[in-house]
Amino acid sequence: MSFTILDWVIVITYLAGSLTVGLLGKKYLGDVSHYLVAGRELGLYVGIATLAATEIGTITFMYNAELGYRFGFAAFAAAMISGVVMIFVGRTGFIISRFRQLKLMTVPEYFEVRYSRGLRLVTGILVALGGILNMGVFLKIEGEFLTIVSGIPARYLVAVMTGILLLELLYTVAGGMVSVVITDFFQYALLSIATILVTIYSVHFVGWGNIVHKVTVTMGAAGFSPIASPKFGWTFLAWQILLWLSIVTCWQTTAMRIFSTRSPEISKRVMTWTGFIFLGRGMLPMLWGIAALALFGSGVLDKGVPLPMVHGHALAPIDAMPAMLAQILGPGVRGIVVAGMLAATMSVNSSYLLGWSAVISQDVVLPLRRIMGKQQLSSRGQLVVNRVANLFVSLFLMFWGLYYTPPGAVYLYLNITGTIFLAGAFVSVVGGLYWKRAGTLGGYLAMLMGAAGAIIPFFFLHWNENVTGFAAFGLAAVGFCAGSLIGRPTSPNREGMLATGGLKELR
Amino acid sequence: MRYWEIFWTASLLVSGGAFAFITVVVIWKGGPDLRQMLRQLRKQNLQN
Repeated sequence: MSFTILDWVIVITYLAGSLTVGLLGKKYLGDVSHYLVAGRELGLYVGIATLAATEIGTITFMYNAELGYRFGFAAFAAAMISGVVMIFVGRTGFIISRFRQLKLMTVPEYFEVRYSRGLRLVTGILVALGGILNMGVFLKIEGEFLTIVSGIPARYLVAVMTGILLLELLYTVAGGMVSVVITDFFQYALLSIATILVTIYSVHFVGWGNIVHKVTVTMGAAGFSPIASPKFGWTFLAWQILLWLSIVTCWQTTAMRIFSTRSPEISKRVMTWTGFIFLGRGMLPMLWGIAALALFGSGVLDKGVPLPMVHGHALAPIDAMPAMLAQILGPGVRGIVVAGMLAATMSVNSSYLLGWSAVISQDVVLPLRRIMGKQQLSSRGQLVVNRVANLFVSLFLMFWGLYYTPPGAVYLYLNITGTIFLAGAFVSVVGGLYWKRAGTLGGYLAMLMGAAGAIIPFFFLHWNENVTGFAAFGLAAVGFCAGSLIGRPTSPNREGMLATGGLKELR
Repeated sequence: MRYWEIFWTASLLVSGGAFAFITVVVIWKGGPDLRQMLRQLRKQNLQN
């Protein structure tokens, strides 16, 4: 066991504090808009903290470190694109300003405002399906990190991860977005300190010269240039730009922070500053992965990269970074880092639980009730549906997340499952906001062709991720344009809704 | 290759520096921001 008593005290204190603070949020809860978008009262600094904490988890550290281990400095291109795209969207207000003006609570809600209730339902189903499958791999990978760094025997993995999930669930169900924002703030502080500590330790222990040398001798030019790297190239870069444009605007958990800000102006500033954090969110853990390659990369070659050898055993590349942390961090520091990683895990999981269950309740259950002619639910009734959806999403995650292992690099798997709905959603949102000819038939075709373009090539034809991702966005765009030109344009009821101060009749 | 190495080294320094700087500012100014959010929520609850 690598953990000392001091490390355990730090971690348990953090967990107890997090739960207490999270449960405090319940007393500020009034109606469903408090539960889902914190009453739209997010200021700049808390907005940055909650957006960053939502998208920085142990899973993020793990897959970015794996990318660094497998592809060297060339992987930095993905981090660079994510940050620069965010800064661009923040500076221009592309999509997010209009979204915030509409006072939405979920992304699929826009599809009813602009197109039709039926399209909202279809989008809601695809968003929930893609999102939950995407989140489905988190628990197992986060559990691997914890067992390797803390030295907890692997047989306790299920119990540990179930316990953590229950803690998150408790405060998320009780206080919704208010609790999530309060805990995110403290969790952001802790995870950032851990990130900085690990970076300093990695470079100090392994040495910058050794890191650069190892990439040079192992990968050559492909370890530095994303163009020369056989896994990346121009198609990868183009797909990543499209993907990140869609993630920062249409990904439910990111969009919920934008919907929660006090004004469209604050939403733009939150996005811009978080863009700078996103540069480090990608590059710093990638650097840890490269450091782990320099430290342990002496095994047999796997896809051109030596497997990590730790105490005579070959590990998977994704496990090299936690194995390095277990070796280089001393007592106390290891406790702080694990508490920081737990903070990262809990902030992501609680936000994702809330995000996907919000889509199930607001965009699947509620529209279905209206289509079936049932009476509209009160705000209290909607809260109950949201909480029940939260429970079901958690149950699914426990069973799927702990037993399913994704094939290949986790980052690319997550990108493809996200593309299933992001391709169609992004094209339909851009078309709906900026093209008068946009129509409901185009929206349906974009969602269906985007999903087919991601699922069929990747899972059945086994094309590589870059071409698959590019094909999904291309097919969604073709479907949207063709459907909109063939069908009738749909008049947006957005202006009327803006004039009445939001979507009151939907709540 | 040498240019890429210089470019990524510079990018890493800027990213790491920005990450640390924004973290300090957000921790410093986030407390009052959070308290204001909770005050506003309480006010909304009283109005309803």
